[in-house]
Parts: sequence; structure tokens; C-alpha cells
Amino acid sequence: MSTIDVPNAQDLVEYRVDRILEEANTDTRIVVLARQDGVLDTFPIWVGAAEGHAIKLALDTMITPRPMSHDLIKSFAEHLDITIQRVIITDVKSSTYYATVHVANKGVERTIDARPSDAISLALRAPCPIYITRLPFFCARGTQGR
Amino acid sequence: MITQMHVKGLMFDPYNNAYIVVLRDEEHADMLPIWVGKPEAGAISMSLENVTPPRPMTHDFMKSLLDAYNAKVISVVITDLSEHTYFAKVHLMYEDSEYTVDARPSDAIALALRSNAPVFANSSVIAKQSSDELDQWLENLKPEDFGKLDS
Repeated sequence: MSTIDVPNAQDLVEYRVDRILEEANTDTRIVVLARQDGVLDTFPIWVGAAEGHAIKLALDTMITPRPMSHDLIKSFAEHLDITIQRVIITDVKSSTYYATVHVANKGVERTIDARPSDAISLALRAPCPIYITRLPFFCARGTQGR
Repeated sequence: MITQMHVKGLMFDPYNNAYIVVLRDEEHADMLPIWVGKPEAGAISMSLENVTPPRPMTHDFMKSLLDAYNAKVISVVITDLSEHTYFAKVHLMYEDSEYTVDARPSDAIALALRSNAPVFANSSVIAKQSSDELDQWLENLKPEDFGKLDS
């Protein structure tokens, strides 16, 4: 597994999923994250329709007749006694967002590379907090449409 | 009794606007079609075609999580079919214990393909699947009909 830079705690800002917007005439959804500490700030992430749907199911706490993919991931974690501690949106490079999922099992912590859509889907189901790193990309994101 | 099945391919089913994963046993005696949604078909198709996406897809992440703790997928079993809903079990080995986890067949198959784990079907599931018309349709398929997922 490649090494993943783990940001310092002071560089993390907690967000929650505020809402999911449909983009007219496209197959994409916009997941709007809102800052948790009261500071007015939102962070949009563009995801595919299927990924948006998976997040929406969790956001609306919909119970599906069969476990969806992220329910299965959660189920694996539960069976193996793995705790999903937090997810971090770490970066965005040329329209691609990066995230990490932080897990622990009997004191052994692991950081797993993920797409933000999977990380958020899982965070809502775990449940666990969602952080965004306070890194230079933050400042640039005004110009970073997607 | 369970039979080992191989994933033969994916087809688009225009009547139901869904995809069909076609499983077949080694002797080509039994065939099991499983209807799945588009994202699930995409996850299976990427494995069948050995496509490595730039970012980990959901089932790649699923496997990463298991790999992170050396949990191994031993096998997956398609266990039941009722009202067009299929049930599957994922068998995991972790620290000398076996775990059985409930899953949809689409997730189970997508994970099995990424883990090089065998896929089995309960004989009762194969027996239940008894549409002659469908069998005929599947029998008449040409290789070119498989594996196209470009929509």
C-alpha cells in the first residue's frame, strides 16, 4: 500500500453532509458539505449519480431490502471488529478528489485510500466524523469548479 | 449442495433496463442469470476486463479494507432467490476464524473477482431459475453480445 500523508489534527475541519443536489441534464450529483462548528462554509463535491444515490440513502436513513455496497463494507467492519474512526477529504488535483478512511482494530490503525463518495457514504453509515484538511487546495477551490 | 460457477459475461437487458450477469457451471450444464443495476454491472465489468481505474472504486476500497487486516475472501455463495431478489454470502477468513456475511450477489461477485475467490451457487437457486424462454435466449447469444458496457 502506498504511503498516505496523514494531516495533523489542527489542519482538520469537521464537516457534515448538508444536502445532495441534482445537476440538471447530467449524470452527476453535488454533495454539499457544511462546516460543523457553526462557521458558515460549504464545500461541494461532484459525484456520479450512483455514488450520490448511495449517499442519499444513508442521509435519509433509508432501509433497503438488501444491503447496499457500503452497508456490506460496514458489515465487514462489524464482523471483523474494525472501527471506522473518521474520514478525511485530503486533496483535490485536476478535478479528482482524494479521501482517506481511518480504521482501527485492536489498536492497529490503518489508513485506506478512497474516493470521497465512498468515504462519505461509509461515514454516514458508520457513523463517524467527516473532516476536510485545511491545506492550500482550500484557498484555490474557488476557482476549482469541479 | 453447491456448484462452482464462473462469470461468463454481462449483458444488457433492454426490457428491464438492467444488466444480467451470466454465471455458468464448469460442465456448461447449468446457467444462472442474475439481474443487477448499472453501477453494480460496472463494478463487475471492470474486473472482468481487468480495467484499473485511476481511483479505487467501491469494491476496490472494500478489498483494501479487508487487505489492511489480512482478511481473505475464501468464497462467495449465491444462496437464495425469492421474488427476483438474490441472496449471497461472503465467506471470510480472518485470524483463523471464518466469518459469513450477508450480501447482494452483485457485491459478492464484484468482490470475488477482485479477490480471485470462487463463486458458488446453491443447487436450489439453479433449480428455481427455470425459464425455458430465457434459457433459449441465452443459448442463442453470440460471444459478441457479452461484455459491452458502453452506455
